[in-house]
Amino acid sequence: MVALVLALAMGVAACGEEKEETPASSDSGGAAAPKEECGEVVLNEQAWAGSTANTYIAKAVLEGELGCEVEITKVAEIPVFQAMADGKVDAVLEDWQHVDEYEQYIEEAGTVVDGGPLGVEGHIGWFIPKYLMDEYPEFATWEGLKGQEELFKTAESGDQGMFLGGDPGYVQKDKELIKALGLDLKHVTAGAEPAQVARWTQLYKQKKPVLFYWYTPQFYNQQYELAEVELPERTPDCKDDAKSGGDAEQYKCAYDTTIIQKLFSKDFAESDSPAVDVLKKMELTNDDQEAVAKAIAGDKEDPEKAGEDWVAENADKVEAWLN
Amino acid sequence: MAVASEPLAPAILAPSSARRAGPLLVGAVALVMIVAFALLRGEFPWPGGLTWSGLPERLDSLQNWLLEQRTAEDRNIVFALLDGFRAIADWLVTSLLDLLEWMTWVGTLAAGVLIVLRYGGWRAALVVLAAFVSFAMMGLWEESVQTLALMLAAVLLSLAIGMPLGVAAGRSPRVHRALTPVLDAMQIVPAFAYLMPVVILFSVGPAAAVICTMIYAIPPAVRITALGIRGVEPDTVEASQAMGATPLQTLLKVQLPLARRQLLLSVNQTIMFGLSLTVIAGLIGGRGLGDVVTSGLYSNAALALLAGGAIVIMAIALDRATAAIAERTDPARRHLTDEGRRKARIATGSAIAAIAVIALAARAFGAESSYPDELETASYVYTATIQDQLLSVIQSVLDYVQDPASLVFGITEPIGNFLVQYALEPLRIWLVEMPWFFTVLGLTAIAFLVSGLRPAVTVALMLLAIGIMGVWEPAMDTASQVLVATALAVAIGIAIGVWAAESPPVERLLRPVLDTLQTLPQLVYIIPFIYLMPVSRVPGVVASVLYAVPVVIRLVTSGVRNVAPAAVEAASAFGATRGQVLAKVKVPLARDAIMLGVNQGIIMVLAVVVIGGLVGSGALGDAVARGLQRNEFGEGVVASLAILALGIALDRVTQSRGRRRRGQPR
Repeated sequence: MVALVLALAMGVAACGEEKEETPASSDSGGAAAPKEECGEVVLNEQAWAGSTANTYIAKAVLEGELGCEVEITKVAEIPVFQAMADGKVDAVLEDWQHVDEYEQYIEEAGTVVDGGPLGVEGHIGWFIPKYLMDEYPEFATWEGLKGQEELFKTAESGDQGMFLGGDPGYVQKDKELIKALGLDLKHVTAGAEPAQVARWTQLYKQKKPVLFYWYTPQFYNQQYELAEVELPERTPDCKDDAKSGGDAEQYKCAYDTTIIQKLFSKDFAESDSPAVDVLKKMELTNDDQEAVAKAIAGDKEDPEKAGEDWVAENADKVEAWLN
Repeated sequence: MAVASEPLAPAILAPSSARRAGPLLVGAVALVMIVAFALLRGEFPWPGGLTWSGLPERLDSLQNWLLEQRTAEDRNIVFALLDGFRAIADWLVTSLLDLLEWMTWVGTLAAGVLIVLRYGGWRAALVVLAAFVSFAMMGLWEESVQTLALMLAAVLLSLAIGMPLGVAAGRSPRVHRALTPVLDAMQIVPAFAYLMPVVILFSVGPAAAVICTMIYAIPPAVRITALGIRGVEPDTVEASQAMGATPLQTLLKVQLPLARRQLLLSVNQTIMFGLSLTVIAGLIGGRGLGDVVTSGLYSNAALALLAGGAIVIMAIALDRATAAIAERTDPARRHLTDEGRRKARIATGSAIAAIAVIALAARAFGAESSYPDELETASYVYTATIQDQLLSVIQSVLDYVQDPASLVFGITEPIGNFLVQYALEPLRIWLVEMPWFFTVLGLTAIAFLVSGLRPAVTVALMLLAIGIMGVWEPAMDTASQVLVATALAVAIGIAIGVWAAESPPVERLLRPVLDTLQTLPQLVYIIPFIYLMPVSRVPGVVASVLYAVPVVIRLVTSGVRNVAPAAVEAASAFGATRGQVLAKVKVPLARDAIMLGVNQGIIMVLAVVVIGGLVGSGALGDAVARGLQRNEFGEGVVASLAILALGIALDRVTQSRGRRRRGQPR
């Protein structure tokens, strides 16, 4: 992919010149901004397609508008905190509220800095295919599932219905929810997300019933028609992450909305790189992110190109980040 | 794989009476266990009072302590040393990579091919050339070179540490005994468990990736080196000592040169083991093909498969190149005249000169550091790779696999369901719900009957440790999957292994297949099975079987082939048919090799438990994966230790008396 960038950069001389001019013009636009070289910025991309999408959007903006050199690393979610603390990674654009690490690295050590919300809001819930919801409108709420669990029976769930659990790496409390709601479902772990997707898309293709842990924004939501099963309303002291254990009752409510967070390394946040300001202001909607993720993962477009295309088509949004 | 290369003593031992009684008694023990299960099902789970529930928190605080130490003002000397090591490893990888990029892709290609041509001959050079061409055509040049640089550095450092340790272990049985459990742990404890501490100590990047690779790649280097040193005839060593050689002289002039072949095999195996960690190294900044596999799994499965293919090609090329270099540079083959030496020097000089000239010329002509995806002429841009075509072929295969209406799915799905309903689930329930003391006593009794007193004691201790760590139930769940996978791997491995031993063409055909299965990242070949057998625990079992089967096949093949010819001739002379010879003579006499196959199969199956956790096997593998992903370090380590304990226990149960008696190292 870098080879492609090089080839493009070398081939289209005019474009290269344009790149030289842009930072100067944007600097003169932002009156207070000193004439700083942007230099190298290291962004970390997570494995899932949504993260690829926002990382490559940022790359296109930083390279195209500020003349930065963006390097993309692919360190796993937890180790990347240490990578930021060591200054090896400058920014993470999509973090799903790793509160334990916030405490450790942001509050205690101060080596990682909060970069503000990305604007994308994560939502976790129980989903079923839309064809199933059409057939059984009562599945709109969890109470409708009661007594009909057998419909979701598979080879591995025995006499109970199958609930297809989420990636073990994600925040979840479905085992506790099933227990607290008194549903006759067996929580079956499908493993990492690609494996879970394989499972439910296969049942979807066979038009069979399936009930599973899922979330938005997710580009698969543009490929498959899904409907959500409503869970009990949130109560003030209801918890979402069953990692802390304890009584199932305290988890008996719908998942809270997750604010997707941007994180910077302290060194980067305190540097005078013009990229800091732009990344702070960067904001995407769920639709923005899903559309680019679908171009990359669904239509197998080159991420570089998908990012650049989005920037070209959303000049007004990008403009707001630059000033 | 390490043990696979140990020579198997020809098995001509009359079965002892204890052995003959064995199967009956083992059956009796199993029967008692079944009865106990039927009568007391689910009534005695591991008691909470016998659990050390504070262990995970202790481990967590250990990790936090590490983190604090790492950032503390006045640092411990150990941390300074580790920092030094980090600097060296980082420097090694980065400068290798810089050099390769400076040479441009043309220079890198020339260097690889010419070096192998000089020391390994034209056949190996052709293989290397083909490998580089395929990286270029796959559009994965840059990533492949990154992985190559990482591997070369990791292998060099692994050998620098592993070979001296191996020499020490080869010369002193005490050192050997002390090292063996450490090496076992390094190979069985899943890398996921120590990724985070490694990152805390070495940050992310090349150094961390090198360390993780080394932890897995050092054991074969030590084991095979030790084996080589031990294999030198004692007479020769004594002779040299009698002539007044110092221990150092004996080592340098006698033992090392004579163990040369084994030393080169250890280089070769170190590379293979190192490459199998590419994907995990990617998670902590190792870059290269591992990154492509991981992100490909989420957004482009075809690309993940393609990158997996590149890893296999790299493994095969490095394997053939090191094997050819070993063969050609064997001093026993070269009694060079002065003329010959002069020629060799000229060849070396001209190879180096040619590489330099090609690299400089390529730079002068503006070749890029990596092979480009597109080539340009004045009027048109050509695509220079066939990545798109390859991806579309792979994608169409994947599409077929993903189609639940396909014929293949119609066959594989019922097989998967059958495995769950009639093997995995009953066995899991049996192991989980049997009163725990019956499980411990029963397995200990079986270990005693099959292997003897000491292994039985070890088994009991390991099982108790699992319970005390508080993971009895997931460990029994994992054990049920491991047993089913091992049974399948052994059944398939013996059938194919015996067939290959009888028919050389079959063996030749199998070799590349087995190489591929051993080096292809498990996450890659598991992809089709997630679709084909969509029942949680089955893809994990299939992955374990595929990973374990090559070792079983290789051990069984060499075991059956090494049966003393005298025994076979005698049987033939009595008029036995080929089938009779096989069933009544060869297989029974190869029994020890087959038991070693079973034993190694279990170890290999355990190595895949965590990968299983990523595709829905649950239990211990799930806990280990979660340990990294959700930063539940303590829980992850506990689960890893349980996997290790399970591994040691199952190893001891299957060790069998025969191997122990002949004092084969383990």
